Amino acid sequence: MNSTEEYDVLVIGAGHAGCEAACATSTMGLKTCLVTIHLETVAQMSCNPAIGGLAKGHLVREIDALGGLMGLLADETGIQFRLLNRSRGGAVQAPRAQSDKALYRLTMKNWLEKVPNLTLFQGIVTEILIKNNKTFGVMTLEGNRLLSNTVILTPGTFLKGVIHMGLHSYSAGRANEPASVELAENLKKIGLKTFRLKTGTPMRLHKDTIDWRQFKPQPGDEKPIPFSFRTQRKLENKIVCYIGYTNQKTHEVIRNNLNKSPLYSGKITGIGIRYCPSIEDKVVKFPHHQRHQFFLEPEGLETAEIYVNGVSSSLPLEVQKEILRSIPGLDQAKMFRPAYGIEYDAVLPTQLYHTLETRHIKNLYLAGQINGTSGYEEAAAQGLMAGINAALKIKGGKPFLLNRHEAYIAVLIDDLITKGVEEPYRLFTSRAEYRLLLRIDNADKRLTPQGFKLGLIKEKDYEAYQKKQEKIKKAMHFLQQEKMINEKREKISLKDFLKKPEVQFKTVLEYKKFNERLSDEEIRHVESEVKYEGYIKKQGKEIARIRKIDGEKIPESTDFREIPGFTGEVIEKLAKARPKNIGEAKKIPGMTPAAVVNLHIYLKCQRGKNHKK
Amino acid sequence: MKGMFEDTIIAVSTPFGSGGLGIVRLSGRKSLSIAKKIFKPKKNKAKIRPLRPILGNLYHLGRKEFFEEAYLIYFPQPRTYTREDMVEISCHGSPVILEEAVRLGIKAGARHANPGEFTLRAYLKGRIDMLQATAINDIIQASSYKQAKISFDQLEGSLSRKISSIRSQIIHLLSQIEASIEFPDEGLRISIKQIAKTIKDAVLSVKKLIESFNLGKTLAEGLTLVIAGRTNVGKSTLFNSLLEKERAIVTPYPGTTRDYLRESIKIGDSLFTLIDTAGMGRPIHPVEKEGIKRGKNLASQADGILLLFDASQKETPEDLRLIKKFKDKKTIFLFNKIDLPQKMKKVKVQNEKKSWSALEISALKGTNIDDLKEMIHDLFVPNQKQEEEVVLHLRQKLILEDISNCLTEAQRLLEGGYPEEVYSEEIRKSIPLIGQLTGEIRTDDIIEDIFSRFCVGK
Ligand SMILES: Cc1cc2nc3c(=O)[nH]c(=O)nc-3n(C[C@H](O)[C@H](O)[C@H](O)COP(=O)(O)OP(=O)(O)OC[C@H]3O[C@@H](n4cnc5c(N)ncnc54)[C@H](O)[C@@H]3O)c2cc1C
Ligand SMILES: Nc1nc2c(ncn2[C@@H]2O[C@H](COP(=O)(O)OP(=O)(O)O)[C@@H](O)[C@H]2O)c(=O)[nH]1
Ligand SMILES: [Mg+2]
Repeated sequence: MNSTEEYDVLVIGAGHAGCEAACATSTMGLKTCLVTIHLETVAQMSCNPAIGGLAKGHLVREIDALGGLMGLLADETGIQFRLLNRSRGGAVQAPRAQSDKALYRLTMKNWLEKVPNLTLFQGIVTEILIKNNKTFGVMTLEGNRLLSNTVILTPGTFLKGVIHMGLHSYSAGRANEPASVELAENLKKIGLKTFRLKTGTPMRLHKDTIDWRQFKPQPGDEKPIPFSFRTQRKLENKIVCYIGYTNQKTHEVIRNNLNKSPLYSGKITGIGIRYCPSIEDKVVKFPHHQRHQFFLEPEGLETAEIYVNGVSSSLPLEVQKEILRSIPGLDQAKMFRPAYGIEYDAVLPTQLYHTLETRHIKNLYLAGQINGTSGYEEAAAQGLMAGINAALKIKGGKPFLLNRHEAYIAVLIDDLITKGVEEPYRLFTSRAEYRLLLRIDNADKRLTPQGFKLGLIKEKDYEAYQKKQEKIKKAMHFLQQEKMINEKREKISLKDFLKKPEVQFKTVLEYKKFNERLSDEEIRHVESEVKYEGYIKKQGKEIARIRKIDGEKIPESTDFREIPGFTGEVIEKLAKARPKNIGEAKKIPGMTPAAVVNLHIYLKCQRGKNHKK
Repeated sequence: MKGMFEDTIIAVSTPFGSGGLGIVRLSGRKSLSIAKKIFKPKKNKAKIRPLRPILGNLYHLGRKEFFEEAYLIYFPQPRTYTREDMVEISCHGSPVILEEAVRLGIKAGARHANPGEFTLRAYLKGRIDMLQATAINDIIQASSYKQAKISFDQLEGSLSRKISSIRSQIIHLLSQIEASIEFPDEGLRISIKQIAKTIKDAVLSVKKLIESFNLGKTLAEGLTLVIAGRTNVGKSTLFNSLLEKERAIVTPYPGTTRDYLRESIKIGDSLFTLIDTAGMGRPIHPVEKEGIKRGKNLASQADGILLLFDASQKETPEDLRLIKKFKDKKTIFLFNKIDLPQKMKKVKVQNEKKSWSALEISALKGTNIDDLKEMIHDLFVPNQKQEEEVVLHLRQKLILEDISNCLTEAQRLLEGGYPEEVYSEEIRKSIPLIGQLTGEIRTDDIIEDIFSRFCVGK
């Protein structure tokens, strides 16, 4: 049977990337179909029941500022909220929330069902249809042909997924869902280079079998801070997480059983995440540590499942049980689901443009874990960008590309494409060159006007945004104009006073009254703007300088073979991509900063030479 | 890239008028064969061996009589600055002689190098990356053999080792701070004290390296020593005796040295510029007055003073005044004319400034002149172990100063109670700077360090 249907856009895989992508394209007016293996697992959180954290929380804010879903959804389904790094400055503060996993999934599905232009469709995609290096749809295992000139592929950890538990392994995508084996083979066949990665997840325990007195509670914030700029309602903490530690006995159990670990016995060949090490990794790599911390996190309100954050493992079930028995408070714990490791295919992201379209197959976009990243937020950010750019291309618009100084989203995508990935990529704030500019408190200022222009931010939300900016402007003016006498009897502006590390906005108000009430969100923004002012200005200049260099033309006559210090590979890349200016050259995969500098100076030398002649 | 630079280039590589010695450099395949056409070793059978200075003469092509004495060093590729065969010819620093040597080289088949072409070649051969190439444009102006050697060793040698140790210090520092920022829940308490100490240590190592710049400068340009003392104590005699040739005009009448004289001498491996000044006694003649003024200026700028006394006479107030005058300088007491009956109360004079070394000499008879040379060497040539030798270029020094400033600013912010992300910003600023000195620091380096040192992550 060969039923066919036509869409503007097909999105394959309703994970965190796919949902954002599909919502973006359909909101931008395109007839979209989101195809996924099971409609029960739309936006399933494969691993921990939490959204956000450092850099990830930043991403969520940016996704939100552009009109994406993740922030709203995390607020809607959050059951515990914390702002991390409260004791530090605004640039490194980020929200993190425990979510009700089931609710997250259901709410996303519910929301998507209501999005105009969007069709949800259950199916297992096995093949990307291609003609003349251009995609025209997909084929499903059920024998259905879905036609569309644009395909966004977001299959997560499913590509040729293999689950490991001890030395036993079997084909599966996530928690026993089917792996996408045919699709993985097909991607290779159509010429995409893939590689193996691995990750893992800890066991889930029964709430009532844990002796909670043994653990230290970690409550949420007194005044929860939402992810979304658009969340109006007051958020509420509904659960408490707990902190515990492994001990010497646990470590002994692990050490004695390393031969049963697929990783340490050499069975897993994929490259794992250093950033999310398994408990085996921790014990092996840090033998001198007396204990390792873990968190007990409820998976939701309607379930007794407890996620043991910090004890992911691919040891066999028996050993996992022994590990639990070694930890006071978990010694009686019953396991719902054992921990497991998973290996899967990812596509080398250097084969993509910054729009996330593949270089050799037109109109095929990749987003999420398939590009070698790890994490819900990283996936969602890519999904949104792939969706936006696919839609813009269909509509004949210019690509929507962000610069590294504008958004973490750009840092993420640029890193993937220019540097490639060797192990699952996770975003860190230190990956950004301009960390003090990329804050949660100004994500809206950085991105919401663009989100509005793209049609992803609603009129009324944009108005609220503008009102907020007005208010902030007034506050900044107030701080600049109003003066006070400091303890040294000098007359200084309130702004200069606020610059001191120990001074807060509310301290300033003790000296002078401001006739408008700022929300906490607005106060955080004002404080950051003032406290980082010196850096913001300096970095602004630096960015302007770099932009100027980026704009420098590369003459068409340039023979890249002549450029010293370049490997054959770099020469080939340049010759193929033919960048028109330095900025474009920078975006070519594999161009190291050193290579860019070489190019730049070479061009300068050439210009000098021509001058002399 | 093969074939891009078939030819051999030649140029003067010391700045004009920079001192007693000049260097002409050749780079390219034919460096040695061209050099052999214009340079003949003094000892007829002497062979030119890699990295060994050899004394000889420069000849006009085909002519029998030489026109200048010179040293030659041959540096075989690839361990040279340009990664090509290189030859250095060191001769008298007079521009005329240097230019003539270049002209000879060109006649013998070399091409005059374009400005910066040595550095360009170094870069093109992948010897240095572009950042370094531009940074080291003011490259290696060797004027002593020791310096020449250091110059050639330094890119791979001790300098990069030192810089890379600073690099890893900074990576460690950042990874400590960044880990605590990125993983607030992991209980990685960072101790402000600990961080402050680490920053301080890093600042110290950077500063130490900056200080070594002065040593580099010393080796490159030679230290300046001024012979000072009253008129007629024997300054010019000593000057000649150190130079071992009759250079200054010596007379038994005060005030003969009208101006100052300057010469380069080599003591051990090191180069010194020796200056003979007119007497520091009461001026008698207007012409002499001018000379004295200049002499005084020179003395105040000198790296060291040889303060000469006529020990055959009683000490004078002028002698004592001079001791005071140079109290902040590195100085050697020299009691001259010990061949004559001694009238000076040397112990008393020496007590005026106990920290200075002292030596009795006879400039005229040459007594203890070798001891003097030894003393000069010990006092002025910093005693550094071979692998500790480091030479910085001005550019590198400036970058290191920037790094030091970043770190110092971080220190200030830390102490001022600013949060991690603020002072870390200052440290992060030093990353591209380090990149200009050595391999760039990628964020991945820091992240890698975090994960190898801290057990974080779920
Ligand atoms: C066991 C495990 C542990 C993990 N541990 C961590 C961790 O420690 N830290 C971390 O940051 N992240 C972790 N993750 C990763 C995190 O879950 C992903 O980064 C994130 O979910 C990726 O989002 P995505 O949208 O790319 O893919 P997913 O969320 O995996 O969604 C993919 C979707 O595509 C669908 N699909 C797949 N193949 C097909 C097909 N052929 N046809 C139709 N639909 C298809 C699937 O049904 C699914 O709905 C883990 C994942 C797993 C499975
Ligand atoms: N006997 C003796 N005479 C010396 C000695 N050194 C210098 N003289 C003499 O002292 C006189 C002045 O010397 P000169 O070098 O011109 O002194 P200057 O004015 O300090 O430069 C000359 O006649 C020298 O020969 C010495 O060590 N012993
Ligand atoms: Mg004299």
